[in-house]
Amino acid sequence: MSNTKTKARKNANGQLASAASSEVIIDLNEVNKWYSEFHVLKNINLVVHEGERIVICGPSGSGKSTLIRCINHLEEHQDGSIVVDGITLDKNLKNIDHIRTEVGMVFQSFNLFPHLTILENLTLGPIWVRKLTKVDAEKRAMEYLERVRIPEQADKFPAQLSGGQQQRVAIARSLCMNPKIMLFDEPTSALDPEMIKEVLDVMIELANTGMTMIVVTHEMGFAKTIADRVIFMDEGVIVEENEPNAFFNNPQQERTKLFLSQIL
Amino acid sequence: MEYVRTKDVPTRKPPMNESSLLGWLKINLFDTLFSSVLTVLVLTAIFFAVKALWIWGVSDGVWVAETRRECFKISLDGACWAGVFAWLDNIFYGRYPRDELWRVNLGGVLLVIWMLPLWLPRVRGKILVGLSVVALYPFLAGYLFSGGEKGIFMQVMIAAAIVGLAANIANAVTGYFNHGSLSNFIIRKIGKSEAHEKQQRNILLAILLFALAVAFIWQMSWTEENVTWTKWGGLFLTFVISGIGIAAALPGGIFLALGRRSKLPVVRVLSTAFIELFRSVPLITVLFMATTMFPLFVPESFQLNKLVQVIIAVCLFYACYLAETVRAGLQAIPKGQYEGAHTIGLGYWGTMGLIIMPQALKHMIPNIVGTFINLLKSTTLVSVIGLFDILNILRAISKDTPWIGLHKEPLVFGAILFFIICFAMSKYSRHLEAKLATGHRN
Repeated sequence: MSNTKTKARKNANGQLASAASSEVIIDLNEVNKWYSEFHVLKNINLVVHEGERIVICGPSGSGKSTLIRCINHLEEHQDGSIVVDGITLDKNLKNIDHIRTEVGMVFQSFNLFPHLTILENLTLGPIWVRKLTKVDAEKRAMEYLERVRIPEQADKFPAQLSGGQQQRVAIARSLCMNPKIMLFDEPTSALDPEMIKEVLDVMIELANTGMTMIVVTHEMGFAKTIADRVIFMDEGVIVEENEPNAFFNNPQQERTKLFLSQIL
Repeated sequence: MEYVRTKDVPTRKPPMNESSLLGWLKINLFDTLFSSVLTVLVLTAIFFAVKALWIWGVSDGVWVAETRRECFKISLDGACWAGVFAWLDNIFYGRYPRDELWRVNLGGVLLVIWMLPLWLPRVRGKILVGLSVVALYPFLAGYLFSGGEKGIFMQVMIAAAIVGLAANIANAVTGYFNHGSLSNFIIRKIGKSEAHEKQQRNILLAILLFALAVAFIWQMSWTEENVTWTKWGGLFLTFVISGIGIAAALPGGIFLALGRRSKLPVVRVLSTAFIELFRSVPLITVLFMATTMFPLFVPESFQLNKLVQVIIAVCLFYACYLAETVRAGLQAIPKGQYEGAHTIGLGYWGTMGLIIMPQALKHMIPNIVGTFINLLKSTTLVSVIGLFDILNILRAISKDTPWIGLHKEPLVFGAILFFIICFAMSKYSRHLEAKLATGHRN
């Protein structure tokens, strides 16, 4: 693990990642979590640097979603420490609220607010949490809607949009908070095949801006294109962790080989 | 094997369907022999019932008479509406002094004026309008209705209500005629729209304080005579109790529901106990408790009048019912909505107030309005503990010497009144549902 700190990483354009990326932004140390009796995360150690893009894969039930949900405290870990952006996650609600403003998250089921228009979905956080004026918030929202290529849908309600469009709105909603880290929890799993690409394109574009990203996904093509590191989890432990080339072409663990042979 | 169609299939008319009147009749009323027979039987029954009612109430009804005896002279079997008309003032206002009725009417008109902007298009700040109705109108109306001496707190609140009403009307006018909200309009008119936000706020605050001072001085000259609550009655009293009940029970219910779902054990247990206690007791018992038992537990000096006790009892009782309705609405909201709200940094109150409650309440509109209608009708129970609400007045007609024994007509009249009010509420709730619908949940 320590070698990743010094390793020069490349982004999708083949350029060397900037030197600023050496700063640690997420640090998980010996994290354990149980769902009542079920031990779902076992001694997880993970260090993420600023600007790093990490893909987590693994069979269902392996704890990968739980892991990233612990990072913004949607799930509570019972043992070990999680430090995000210099703040330790504990029972202090102020810390949790602060971390959540710095960590954006995109869900499998979008979780847009159905009673608000697209524009209102995007401006809610900036206005109420970031205390922007309505005009500024709407300006920012429209910028991000342009970036995810659906500015014309601003006044519609979520139910009027396709799945791919809804997921792009969800990404824009998170970005409107200007987060330092973006978490993606199987963002394309609920989408029709032709919609997956439009969402992945937006994510790749985002990766190219240097955003720190942790993505739980089964899209291995996506992992190969943008990941700095791929993490394979099974039964609550990190089985293998490597840069994508080595991970896909030369997996070390038997369990990883089996998984890859089944999905590739 | 090949099959190639060489001719176009001609288009056909659709089979008989419900879109034509004949089709609708055939499908819904005369489908089979059995349903045809049923239809004829039911139509006959309806015909005779309506005919009998018509003869009793309209064609044989007596509209003008001095006493019940006169009614009988004109028509022995017909309804004697003259008795109801003679009592109309009592039915609407109870024993409120006849010279002071304008106060009640003015109170009603002011309420309508205050709420009207809620239904006007383009008017800004509708939430503020709604809140000001609940928070300020009761003080203005309270003084109008009861009059008498005003304490200093009451005077301040009356002044605030006057300013609130005036600002509300002005805001509705500027909004309706496309000038934006009142504050924007003022800032623009005095040419300060470029000024710093803080300066703008200070200007508005100064105007507000000045208006408050003017209103305060104005209301000091008001000296309406005192009308004690014992003189209140009829539909007016019913509206007072149910109006306050509706305005207070919904917020109360929301907080109780949140309390019952709270993570804090003490809050949760207390809310649950409170809700279950009130829900397992009939309203009539709560009313009796409030008026007979409650005074036993408090010191002599702390005596509330019966009307206040009744209103508090109604509010608490229906807050508990609404709490369960709201809780059902909350449970229908998927967990993803909470998580979505948390991930954009909203805390508990932000999540509840902006994301969860608006959706939960929207889903629950039919049930909430149902409870409101229930509340309105249940206020007639206060007649049992001696308040002269509309039901008590209607029954009193039969004890009035000229109209002695007149039972049916007043009650039918009361039923018609209640039907009109409740049906309007129910229609409005359907309208609200349709208006607020933004497609299905997640």
